[in-house]
This record gives sequence, C-alpha cells and structure tokens, in this order.
Amino acid sequence: MSTDIEKLDDHHHIPSGIMRWITTTNHKDIGTLYLWFSLIMFFIGGAMALVIRAELFQPGLQLVVPGFFNQMTTLHALVMIFGAIMPAFVGLANWQLPLMIGAPDMALPRLNNWSFWILPFAFTMMLSTLFFESGGPAAGWTLYPPLSLQGGDSMPFVILSIHLFGLSSILGAINIIATILNMRAPGMNLMKMPIFVWTWLITAFLLLAAMPVLAGAVTMLLTDRFFGTSFFTASGGGDPVMFQHIFWFFGHPEVYILILPAFGIVSTIIPTFSRKKLFGYDSMVYATVSIALLSFIVWAHHMFTVGMPLAGEIFFMFTTMLIAVPTGVKVFNWVATMWKGSMTFETPMLFAIAFIVLFTIGGFSGLMLAMVPADFQYHDTYFVVAHFHYVLVPGSLFGIIAAVYYWLPKWTGKMYDETLGKIHFWLTTIFVNLTFFPMHFVGLAGMPRRIPDYAIQFADFNAIASIGAFGFGLSQLLFLYILLKTLKKDVTAKDKVWEGAEGLEWTLPSPPPYHSFEKPPRVE
Amino acid sequence: MKVFTIIAATLTPSLASADWETNMPIGVTPTSEIAYDIHMLIFYITVVIGILVFGAMLYSIIYHRKSIGAKPAQFYESTKVEIIWTVIPFIILVGMAIPATKALILMEDTRDAEITLKVTGYQWMWQYEYLEDDVSFFSKIDDESNKARQLNSGIDVYQVKNYLRNVDNFVVLPTNTKIRVLLTANDVIHAWWVPELGGKKDAIPGYVNELWVDIKKPGIYRGQCAELCGKDHGFMPIVVKAVPKTEYHKWVSIQQNNKVAGNK
Amino acid sequence: MNKNMKKTYYLLTIFTVFMFSFSYMLVPLYDIFCEVTGLNGKTNQTKVSVINEQPTERFVKIKFTSTVANSAPFIFEPVNKEMNVQVGKIYTTFYTLTNNSNKIKYATASPSVVPSQDAEFFKKIECFCFSQQEINAFETKELPLQFIINNELRNETKTLVLSYTMFNTTEQAGLNSENKIYE
Repeated sequence: MSTDIEKLDDHHHIPSGIMRWITTTNHKDIGTLYLWFSLIMFFIGGAMALVIRAELFQPGLQLVVPGFFNQMTTLHALVMIFGAIMPAFVGLANWQLPLMIGAPDMALPRLNNWSFWILPFAFTMMLSTLFFESGGPAAGWTLYPPLSLQGGDSMPFVILSIHLFGLSSILGAINIIATILNMRAPGMNLMKMPIFVWTWLITAFLLLAAMPVLAGAVTMLLTDRFFGTSFFTASGGGDPVMFQHIFWFFGHPEVYILILPAFGIVSTIIPTFSRKKLFGYDSMVYATVSIALLSFIVWAHHMFTVGMPLAGEIFFMFTTMLIAVPTGVKVFNWVATMWKGSMTFETPMLFAIAFIVLFTIGGFSGLMLAMVPADFQYHDTYFVVAHFHYVLVPGSLFGIIAAVYYWLPKWTGKMYDETLGKIHFWLTTIFVNLTFFPMHFVGLAGMPRRIPDYAIQFADFNAIASIGAFGFGLSQLLFLYILLKTLKKDVTAKDKVWEGAEGLEWTLPSPPPYHSFEKPPRVE
Repeated sequence: MKVFTIIAATLTPSLASADWETNMPIGVTPTSEIAYDIHMLIFYITVVIGILVFGAMLYSIIYHRKSIGAKPAQFYESTKVEIIWTVIPFIILVGMAIPATKALILMEDTRDAEITLKVTGYQWMWQYEYLEDDVSFFSKIDDESNKARQLNSGIDVYQVKNYLRNVDNFVVLPTNTKIRVLLTANDVIHAWWVPELGGKKDAIPGYVNELWVDIKKPGIYRGQCAELCGKDHGFMPIVVKAVPKTEYHKWVSIQQNNKVAGNK
Repeated sequence: MNKNMKKTYYLLTIFTVFMFSFSYMLVPLYDIFCEVTGLNGKTNQTKVSVINEQPTERFVKIKFTSTVANSAPFIFEPVNKEMNVQVGKIYTTFYTLTNNSNKIKYATASPSVVPSQDAEFFKKIECFCFSQQEINAFETKELPLQFIINNELRNETKTLVLSYTMFNTTEQAGLNSENKIYE
C-alpha cells in the first residue's frame, strides 16, 4: 500500500509511517485501518470464544470460575459485534462506496478519521476492565437489570465504551449517507446504484435510528446505579422489563445492521461469478427497505418469556414471521441469479454460496423461534445460540471474508493465492458447521445458555462443538497468513480483476490512485 | 446429507440415547405436547423449503458452470415471478400462524387451576410456596453436584448421579391436576423451566408472572434456571416429582406437620 | 460545503438527537401504551377515590401472597391468605410487616395482580403500596388494604392473586425525604 504514495503530485504532502495512519483523511487508508482493527478484534473475541469452548469441552469445571466465564461470554459478544463485525463493514464501506459511486472521497474526511480512532480507545478501555479487581462486565452483552446493576467497577467504563462505539457508528453513518446522497457521479440515479451502496445506505439509516436508543438505555442504567433514578427498579416505581423493551428496540435493528451489508456483498459477488446480472435488482432494493422497516416492529420476539400480554405475544409473532417474506425473496433472487448463469467458483464465490445456504439455515431456525408456543422451549437455550451464530458467522462473517477476497486484488493490485483461499474456505465451512450445528441439538434437548458447566447428557455434542471451534479458530490463522502473503507479492492485478465484474471500481487501476476519481465519471 | 441425518434422528427419539438427544421432548403436559407439535410442524416446512431451494442451487452449481461450457442467460427480472415468490411464502406463513395462535391461547389460559404453586427465584436457588396448603421450602442444588462442580474439584462428574440436575428438596406435585405456577424473584431476573412440563416464564423481582401445567404422567422431571442471574446461574436446578393425588396429599400433610414441629 | 450537503447534515443530526430523546420518551410511552390498550399488568398506582360500584351476585376468590425482596430483614405476610369476595363490594384486609433488624428501616411495597388482564379491575381504595413505610427496629406494623373488585372483570375469571413485594428502601429514603414514591 505504500507504492501509491510515489504516484502522487508534488502538492500532496502525505506523511509516512505512523503519522500517515494517525492523520489520514483518505477513505482508502481509513478503510484499511477499520479492516485491520476488526481483524485484531476478531482474534481477541475469538480467543474469548475459545476460552468458553475449552471450558465447555467437558462437563465439570476445569479452567475458569463461573464469574469469569460470564465475563467471557459478555465480552465475546461485545467485542465481536461492536469490534469485529461492525467496523469490518464500515471498513468495506469506506473502501468501496466512493469507488462505486465515482466520488473522490467520503463527504467528511476528517470526521471519518475521528470516527475510526475513537474505536481503539474505546476498546482498550472496555477490555481493561478484565484486569479490575471486580472483573469485567458479566451480565451478558444484553446487560439486563437488575443483574447489571448489581455490581462491579467495570460498569461505568463499559457504558462509556458503548457510548463511544455508538458515537463512532453514528458519525460514520452520517458520513455515509451524506456521501451516497450527494456525491454520486452524474447519471447515477438511486435505482442505478450498485446494490452494495443501497444496502449500506439503508444500514446507515438503521444505525442513526438504533444507536441513540442504545445510548439512552445504557445511560438509564448508569443513572439508576449512580444517580438515584429508578427506571428499572420496582421499588422506585420502575420496571426491569422496560429496559428489555428499550434495549431490544435498538437490538433488533442492530442485527439487521449486522447483516444488510453482507446481503449487498453477496448480491455483488454472485452476479460477477455467474456472469449474469443480479436478478430482480428493484425487488432486492424494496425487500431490503421492507426488512429495515419491519425490523422496528419485531423487537419483543427476544422477550417472549417476560410475561407479555397475549395480544402482545401474538402481534410480535406475526410481525416476526412476516420478516421471513422479504428475506426469502432475497434468497430466491440470488438463486435466480445463479440459475442458467455461467459459474466459476473462485474463493469469493465459494464464501458467497456458503453464505446463502448457511444463512438460510439460520433463517429457518429464526422462523422456528418466531413461533411463540415453541419459543417457550427454545428461549435462553443453545437453540438460540445456534440460530444467531448461523446468521452471524456463516452470515455476516462469510460476507466480510468474501468481500475481502473479492476486493483485495483491487485494493492492493496483488492477487491472493487461490489454492490457499479455497483451503481456507473448506476448513472454515466444515469447522463452522461442526461448531454450531450440534448447538441446535443440545438446545432442543434442554441445555440453557450462559452456563459454564452442564449435565452429562449434553457432553457429546458439546465436545464436538468445542473441537469445531478450535478448528475454526485455527483456520482463521490461515486467513491471516494468506493476507500477509498477498501483501508481500508484486502488483500484477488488472483493472478488471474478475471477468464478470461490473461497476465503477473496476474502471480504476488496481490499486486505485490515492484520490480515486479526480474527475467524476459519467454513468450511462 | 445433514438434513437426512437430522430427520432420521428426530423421527426416532426413542432410538437415540440420551447423550445424542437431538430433539425437544414431547413431555408430559398438554402445553409441552402442543409446543412440540408446533416445533415439528415448522421444522418439516423448513425442511421442505430447504430441499427445494438448496436443490435448485445444487442443480445450478452442477449444470450452469462455465467449465462445462454453459453460456450465461440474459434474463434479470420478472415481476410475475417476484409476486409468486412473495405471495406463496406469505400463504405458508398464514398456514403456520393459525395453529400457532391456537396453541398460544391454550398455553396462556391459566383459569380454573386447582393448586397454586408460587416460585421465587433467588441467587442461586428456588423457594416454593404451596398457597392453598401453606407449605413452603427452599430448594437448591444437591451437595454432591455442588462439590463436584467446583473448579478442579478432582471429582469425576460422570460418577455423580443427575449431575447438576439434582436438588435437596423436590417440588412434589399431583398428576392430572391443573396447577397454576406463579413466578417472582428476590433479587434479579431468573426463569423457571422444566422442559418436559412445557412453558417457560421469567421470574422478575417486584412482579408476578404465571404459567400452568397439568402433568399427565407420574415421574421425576428436571429443569434449570433459564435466565442469566449471576455467577451460579448454571447451578440452580429444578426437580419436580409428579405423583398421584393421594400421594401428593400425604406429602402435604407431612410437610405441614414438619412445619408445625418447627422444621421449616 | 454545498447547500445539499448542509441540509443532509442538518436533517441527519436532528434525526439522531430525536432518536436519543425517543429512548427517554419510551419511558412514559411504555405506561401510556399499556393504559390505552389495556395491556396492563399494573393495578391502579393511585388511590381510587370515587366508587360508583354496586355489589353484584358474582363472587371471586382472591388469594394474597407476599415476597420480601433482596433478602431484606423483614417479615411480611398477609393476614388473610384467601378471601371469597363479592364483586362490587368494598373489603378491608391487612398485611403485617415486621422489621427484624435493630435499626430503623424504610420499606416500600410493589403490587402485582395475576391474571394480568384482570389487574385493572382490582381497584385499591386504600393501600400501603402508595407510600413508603417507616418502621422502627423490631417493630411490627399492620398495613391496611381496602379494595373493591370492579364488575367489568372478565366473565371467565374465578380467582385473582394479589402479590406484594416489599423492598427495603432505606437508602433511597435518605436521598429524598418525601414519604410518597408515587403521586
């Protein structure tokens, strides 16, 4: 990535070394920062997952005390959601959005820099709570009171960290919306935008609607704990269940924030490697908008056992089931894109196809969870853990990995090793299923969530899941190796790296010049 | 392949040993049975949809590949098709919603219960109060499990009977009686769950929730706390012993006598 | 910066600030929504002052139960565990509260009625749950509850359970010297 500095005009004075990365306002540099940050956080969150799976490998407690185990489950989720998945998608947005719409950079380049640099600070603060005497947060990433109000010095630090993650996301979202709405190349009207741009536009609106609500909820926790309010304590006229409503009002749009960009990525990769236009572009846009809108009226499906009135349970059951319709439409459109295409199966395509299959399986368990009478048996069991890991790992994460393989040659001008990529794919896919599929079974058989130890009848599937988890984790070291190996290579990639690729980014050289499009291209 | 294995395992629950249990129990109450029925119905529907969608993908991957000379078609939209695959899933969902709603109404109908059991969740044990009979006691994880589960206890947990699912005082309940279970908590949110009895509700401090059970078969049914409640969330099990009515009334008398004698 | 950009930032910032305040608005909205739709587990939070009820032919069973929260040093029990009441008639019953510690304490009760759909028909005329109780070391108090069951109670309901949770609010009492928690 240092080679493109030499191509610059004299009036650019880009610092080199560390100062370049600290002061950069370039969307590509900032994208790179986000992506490396998210990879580091992914390994940290992954290490926590391996602590969890190592303890759960056998019944009995061998490694950690239950209080620390709860810290691991809490931080694993916070790190993966706010440190790995979301920053990775923002990194992809930073790299790709200006390139795809023919813009020179993001709308607010300096704000872009601040939005990134908030994150390492916030995560250092959050992770440092592990070293407090009272330990890190241990009430689950969902922070339900009264448990989350019960103690630990970590709480104000975690809340401040969450505010900072939120601020970073909100500033990033404003930047993204402003860029997409105002800086498109002439001729690119909204219904001509690449689908990835559409999914990020919608995601950005979801961020603006949801993150402030999370900020409000955790602020209420803070004032309940330290400033004498009683939002969530019955003795003061409050209600712990109200926290759950406010939290999940944020929480459900949040999970769509975690998946919509991946939908955009898959909608980009499948057409490229099928050599066929995306089937039903308009429909895909409308489906994405419907999903986003519906996501605001389903939140209580995370709370079916809380003691809601029957009418409430029925309402949320219906709206949750309804979300399956636009999601199904998207899956059908992807299959229709593949249908009668002329497919090749490079690594990005492999991850994209695996996404469709495995995310859909996650969707099926989601549909099962929507049915309240059955949900009474699934809620707070490993069946739920299986569901959300299927949509987040072979869902969101595979989308990110696919995007990296797909665009890395464009970003760097260097081709990754295709054989190693395929090995990475197969190892990852096999181990991801080995890890999470058995969780459906133990959940149905009665194993609750968030427990460090379990009854003997759950042992065999837990052992398999733990083996899968370690295999999965090690396979990602291969991914790191592939990335590093690629960066050492020579620049050999063409402008249009993939035969079937469409879009403005493929009209630029690989790697693109420092200022991407100095003059806006004309779009037909 | 995965799909077929699961179908085989779930359709033959009696053949699968407890260790490899892959499915929800049918249970021993009307509520557990209806939960199971809805679960299986939706599962079968998703299996069929999965076969269709993944089948189409598999076909496409085999026959629409460049390496065998396939040329890409030019079509990229069809309003008709979009309408079809929006409406048909919607109709399937309506078909699912009707039995599910009926099931839910049944599960939430706590009227005409004969006995009221009040359950209070504590960190980290349960308190049970039989409101009509004035019986009350605490129930916590049994000593053997509790010793074995300590970090590096050196005890082989495989030798502990009903490891982590045994308690000192069982909840004795009569069979064939509609029992209303009230749930509340002393400190944080817990949840009371016995899979074979169906239904699950949170136990929230300051509030009361309710569910009902009508246990059709005598036996011992084990469950666990189902809402993260602190460090020993995984160590506050529930054991219900269901016995015929006459035996239940005998047990109640014994509890009441013990209480009078000062052994609460 | 061009005009369109400025307008975009302005609108998006306003939207973000609105969503933050929306989360606080959810607090009263939560209660209002429950009242308007009747999807309420809550009984009346304030005294019912005007009673236009006439006793009816209908009887329902009321069970009374109690919980002490956070293992506070209280003994808190209903005097009557069960009453067979005539719908539309006023009744009085009591709970006893004992402070089992050697320090003065403040206690507040939180009520809950099940089934929750019938909670609104359990009308409290006098209730100790409306105010914080001051109780001396080792003192026992009898706390009165005067109530009436409204005849709009669902036809199929034969039993109601009224539960009180007694909280030790001694710490909070230090923060605000008012005795009343609710209006």
